[in-house]
Amino acid sequence: MAAKDREQLLHFYEDMLRIRFFEEKVRDVLLPGKLFRGSSHLAIGQEAVAVGAIHALREDDLVVSTHRGHGHAMAKGLDPRSMFAEVMGRKTGCCRGKGGSMHLSDAGLGFVGENPVVGSNTPMAAGLALAAKLEGSDRLVAAFFGEGALNTGAFHEAANLAALWQLPVLFLCEDNLYAISVPLERSSALQDLERRAEAYGIQGQRVNGMRVMEVYEAVSRVAQETRERSVPSYLVFDTYRFEGHHTSDKQTYRTRDEALEEFRKRDPIHILEFEMIDDHTVPIPLTIEYRDRIRAEIDEAFEQALQEPWPEADEALAGAYAEGGE
Amino acid sequence: MAEKLRNITFAQAIRTALRAEMKRDERVILFGEDVGYYGGVYGATVGLQKEFGEDRVRDTPISEMAIAGVAVGAALAGYRPVAEIMYCDFLAHASDAIVNNAAKWRYMSGGQFALPIVFRSPGGGGAGYAAQHSQSLEAWFAHIPGLKVVAPSLPRDARGLLKAAIRDDNPVVFLEHKAHYTFKGEVPVEEEVIPLGVAEVKRAGNDVTVVSWSKTLTFALEAAETLAAEGIDTEVIDPRTLQPLDIEAILASIGKTRHLVVAHEAVQFGGLGGEIVAQVAERALDSLKRPPVRVAAPFVPIPYSEPMELRVIPQVADIVAGVRRSLG
Repeated sequence: MAAKDREQLLHFYEDMLRIRFFEEKVRDVLLPGKLFRGSSHLAIGQEAVAVGAIHALREDDLVVSTHRGHGHAMAKGLDPRSMFAEVMGRKTGCCRGKGGSMHLSDAGLGFVGENPVVGSNTPMAAGLALAAKLEGSDRLVAAFFGEGALNTGAFHEAANLAALWQLPVLFLCEDNLYAISVPLERSSALQDLERRAEAYGIQGQRVNGMRVMEVYEAVSRVAQETRERSVPSYLVFDTYRFEGHHTSDKQTYRTRDEALEEFRKRDPIHILEFEMIDDHTVPIPLTIEYRDRIRAEIDEAFEQALQEPWPEADEALAGAYAEGGE
Repeated sequence: MAEKLRNITFAQAIRTALRAEMKRDERVILFGEDVGYYGGVYGATVGLQKEFGEDRVRDTPISEMAIAGVAVGAALAGYRPVAEIMYCDFLAHASDAIVNNAAKWRYMSGGQFALPIVFRSPGGGGAGYAAQHSQSLEAWFAHIPGLKVVAPSLPRDARGLLKAAIRDDNPVVFLEHKAHYTFKGEVPVEEEVIPLGVAEVKRAGNDVTVVSWSKTLTFALEAAETLAAEGIDTEVIDPRTLQPLDIEAILASIGKTRHLVVAHEAVQFGGLGGEIVAQVAERALDSLKRPPVRVAAPFVPIPYSEPMELRVIPQVADIVAGVRRSLG
């Protein structure tokens, strides 16, 4: 393996670990410690999609995400400290404590934000892409959504419009098999999800979402086409969320064994580690070194965020409106 | 020096404002159903596609969710979209993007984004369009923090307020009255931007204050003339913008007249008349000599047949009766 490829793979590995350890911290420390309010939607198991896809984009490309977007946010460059601060409601969070886990955003990094209303981010993505097109920029817009969003009217209106107006949108569907409790076979008339935009002339492709390099290569390929021809693209990633839909999900719709079995076989981080070790890209001690380093970094970000100030209660009353205008 | 005026329709006033703002700022873009080639079902965008091109004036498919959602996205990326939703009843389709995204994105992000969007939409009844094309839904949107709501009545206000709405950095729901597009009024020849959130006394009077907006305001002005013949001197106030609401102007008027009537076409229950009466009661109950009166639609959908529609939508006579009631 060329040094450059090795470097890139290790970069992916590092980013996936960062997301995993962030979310494990949420699961194991923030939630039991009541440091986190409302619902947390963990993407443990889906890290390869976020990392592979976002690394295939250009820095000035824009990303819109979903309620399950910690990974997308971090892959787009959000700092774990500001994310911890945000999900713990601190003043120094990326949204000053006004958004929380479901509304992370960072305008400067092109992370337009999470949108937890399923399907709702796809017309927004079309609008962001329209702006790029009108400006004459070859910036593109990546919209992540779960397979549940394919059943919303918003997705179909957006897909039609993006195809009709030739807008540079990457529709990136993370098929994790469940819309909360309802499995795919009970929610989609068509099981071949990659065909669900065919009516608009958009040919989808299915990608193994557990292998970060495959995600990266697939997104790189369609991103190039989308950028050059200004047309939408559509990919469906086979993935799996190892945790419940949210914090209080009892997961009665699947057996505990099913999740564990999937985890053992398909954990994208284990797959990557195994491959890197197996083909001698990295020695085992290096993976341990990476894990220790990233875990320490996440621990530190958390400890730091924990010391950060709460907003004044009255800050709630400001900021609903922009002052002035043109 | 007297200002130079010209007489134009409400639809022409809208079109004039759109055209001027598109010339002024190339980030202003227009889209919606039939707004391009056809010029809008009420003619408010006639000729704009020809003048500004298909990039800036776009016909859309019948996809209200996408129209409103694209407006949000384009605004987040620095454009100033004016999205037309053909009937305000269809704002129900578009509401996710308006209510959940446009209204909240700035707040939720801790102030990182601005959303300079105008959602133009015709509402109101009186033209025989029945229940699904005749509603007055201003209270829905005035209830949502993050949105501004404008409901102009006279062409001059429509032009000046639309210009201000386009220049505003917040999402504005701009409600026009479909039975009012051909209504004529004088506008100054010179450019005029009317700030949002400022009411106007449309007719000065000493005996009673009538607060009204959109098409009903013109009924209130007619009612005031009828009442004048009886020796009742009515002050008519047009808030023009419903969110934010210029309550100070209303309070100032009541301080003088000591009587309040609010007249609007939307159903009375949960309508903005209730909000205005409540604010006045909280802040100036002692100013009122008599209980305030609301003149608004009964709690039924808009019927088709003319006698029934006229029964439901407040008319001049209803306002006259409301004023008399308020005076005891």
